[in-house]
Amino acid sequence: MSNVEWARLLEHPAIWRGRSVARTESLATGFAALDARLPGGGWPRSALIEILVARFGVGELYLLLPVLATLTSGSTARWSAWIAPPLEPYAPALAAHGISLPHVLIVRADPVHRLRSTPKSSNRSGRSGVSTSDPTLWAFEQALGSGACDAAMAWLRRPRAQAIRRLQLAAERGRALGVLFRPFSAARESSHASLRIALEPVTGGIRATILKSRGGLPGSVDIATGD
Amino acid sequence: MRPRAARPPDLALQQPAPRAQPPETLRSVWRSPVSVALAPELWMGVRVPEQLLEQLAVRAQRFTPRVSLAPPDGLLLEVRGSLHLFDGVEGLLEALARECTDLAVQPAISLAPTPLAALVGARLETPLVFTDRARLVGQLAPVPLEALRWPPDTLARLARMGVRTIGQALRLPRAGFARRFGPEQLAQLDRLTGRSPDLREHFRPRERFRGRCDLSYELESHGGIRAALEPLWVDLGKFLAARQCAVTHLECWLRHRHSPPSRCILRLAAPEANVERLEQLLSERLAALSLPEAVRSCELRSGYPIRGVSISQPLWQPGTHGGDGAVEAAELIDRLRARLGPEAIHGLQTLDDHRPERSSAAASCGASAASCGAPGIQPAVVRTRRPSAMSRVGRDAQNVSRTLRRPLWLLSQPRLLAERDGMPRRRGPLRLCGDVERIETGWWEEGEIGRDYYAAYDAHGVLLWIFRERGGPHRWFLHGFFG
Repeated sequence: MSNVEWARLLEHPAIWRGRSVARTESLATGFAALDARLPGGGWPRSALIEILVARFGVGELYLLLPVLATLTSGSTARWSAWIAPPLEPYAPALAAHGISLPHVLIVRADPVHRLRSTPKSSNRSGRSGVSTSDPTLWAFEQALGSGACDAAMAWLRRPRAQAIRRLQLAAERGRALGVLFRPFSAARESSHASLRIALEPVTGGIRATILKSRGGLPGSVDIATGD
Repeated sequence: MRPRAARPPDLALQQPAPRAQPPETLRSVWRSPVSVALAPELWMGVRVPEQLLEQLAVRAQRFTPRVSLAPPDGLLLEVRGSLHLFDGVEGLLEALARECTDLAVQPAISLAPTPLAALVGARLETPLVFTDRARLVGQLAPVPLEALRWPPDTLARLARMGVRTIGQALRLPRAGFARRFGPEQLAQLDRLTGRSPDLREHFRPRERFRGRCDLSYELESHGGIRAALEPLWVDLGKFLAARQCAVTHLECWLRHRHSPPSRCILRLAAPEANVERLEQLLSERLAALSLPEAVRSCELRSGYPIRGVSISQPLWQPGTHGGDGAVEAAELIDRLRARLGPEAIHGLQTLDDHRPERSSAAASCGASAASCGAPGIQPAVVRTRRPSAMSRVGRDAQNVSRTLRRPLWLLSQPRLLAERDGMPRRRGPLRLCGDVERIETGWWEEGEIGRDYYAAYDAHGVLLWIFRERGGPHRWFLHGFFG
């Protein structure tokens, strides 16, 4: 068997080889240095990733702008859902970065309703699965699993490991890129997310430290933010 | 049908029928054995107040299946076939008068062999009875043309020619009449006299689904309520499937022993015929409902069904090839709205304004998500204020915002920053970087601003968008995060 044939055989998605990840579809991050680090050469197409930040606003959204621009601009683009963003996203800036605004969906999941129902009672209806106590978590899972979104981002305080597992499955089911923003303190907890990146500011840019990546190598990348 | 033996045979018409108000006098007119036995059709024209038309139409369906509406105030019943069931014209009139008394209306009723003639007869001050097809034209002759409700200018032109009654109009030459007053008017005259057939659409009452389930025990939990609703969903499914309809409005009423009933209302972005999905959406709503006490009975009511909603599946899976997820988009919106409330979901749009806080706004989304090609958020409002000048300025504003740095997150209200020696602080001193940008605009209306904007790093390396007032106390404000 020639090398070419071997290579082709090994590309089969059912074959998993240690560090070179089986061919999962991926999306270029827009930052060459980061692409080189990530398995598959970019963000995974349908999976949950976690971005851990020490402080809101260190550049976590900046990191995602190129991929959001790519995802929203295609002719068959689906939604990019923002679940419970901490502040109001500023439309002109998003448009300036090439994000197509008609594909942006903002979901406000403020816990206005005091729910009286027990969690047990609401688990019966097939798809709404996650315990109903947290509307943000519920909306995030719905957006990821619905098949109506290309990407969904959520800002969650303390999701449980089991909930993250559900989100990961929902992202695979709905072919969506799920992005979960969490505080840096969550780095110690284990997580089912297929990719975990911690961000910290450095002079002239941000440093992305890959904490976990399925089939990739941990390490740090410096990204210039173009100041 | 044979006329009653006691009645004298075919009597001549009673030209001016008396007022229709008291049924007694009506009966005296129709006691005469009209030659209905020979007529192929006998139409009853009823003039009722507009708002009661549909109600009376529903009630009149017990007399004949051929009920049709002649808006705004006319109701037509074809009663030829029903006469023998109601003991002739007389009995039918009595029954109709009873229905009308129930509704507290005094209708004007007329009888005629053609629908239009019955309508015309009912519209008159003194309703007419046209008994015989052969004499119809002669009977109609003295009726003023106003009863046909033609356009006023047509009537005025006819009046100028000295044509004021139907008889006079019928004597005019047909070709000339059609040319001068329109073919529709001529066609109406033909239908009036029975020269051409008058096809009328039958009235079909609008129906809504209403299912109720009274319980012999009291329900506390949401799970139990959902189980109790189960048979009602099945009924609703059959109701919708039989009519090939979909609904956009659904209500669930839960009744209690003492408290007023709890209502749970579901409004959908697009008509939905799939009961499973409706059930799912309503369950989300129910889960958020807090009940004052235990439930004794459940009821499901639908809005008016919408016809002709095709139920089809897309060829492609969303996210592959041509699949744009339009169907899933509408579903997702509905589901999120059902749980989080209608105002929780919105889109984004830019507005033409230089003021940062006024150049970004929430946009509507959803209503047409299923019909648009792409998962749609409607471009919300077309701004019409200051059309020419403003749009040019707006374009400039957009071009400018493409070149200038704008933060990804904006605070809806600028936040006052602490100060030391004239420099802003936020958990330590801020380090200004880049150029200053002056925004000074809005002088023509409320909300004028004059600000100098800077980008600044705080001690933790977060890039902020801050400004200093140009006038007044020159305070510093935080306005956004570059994210």
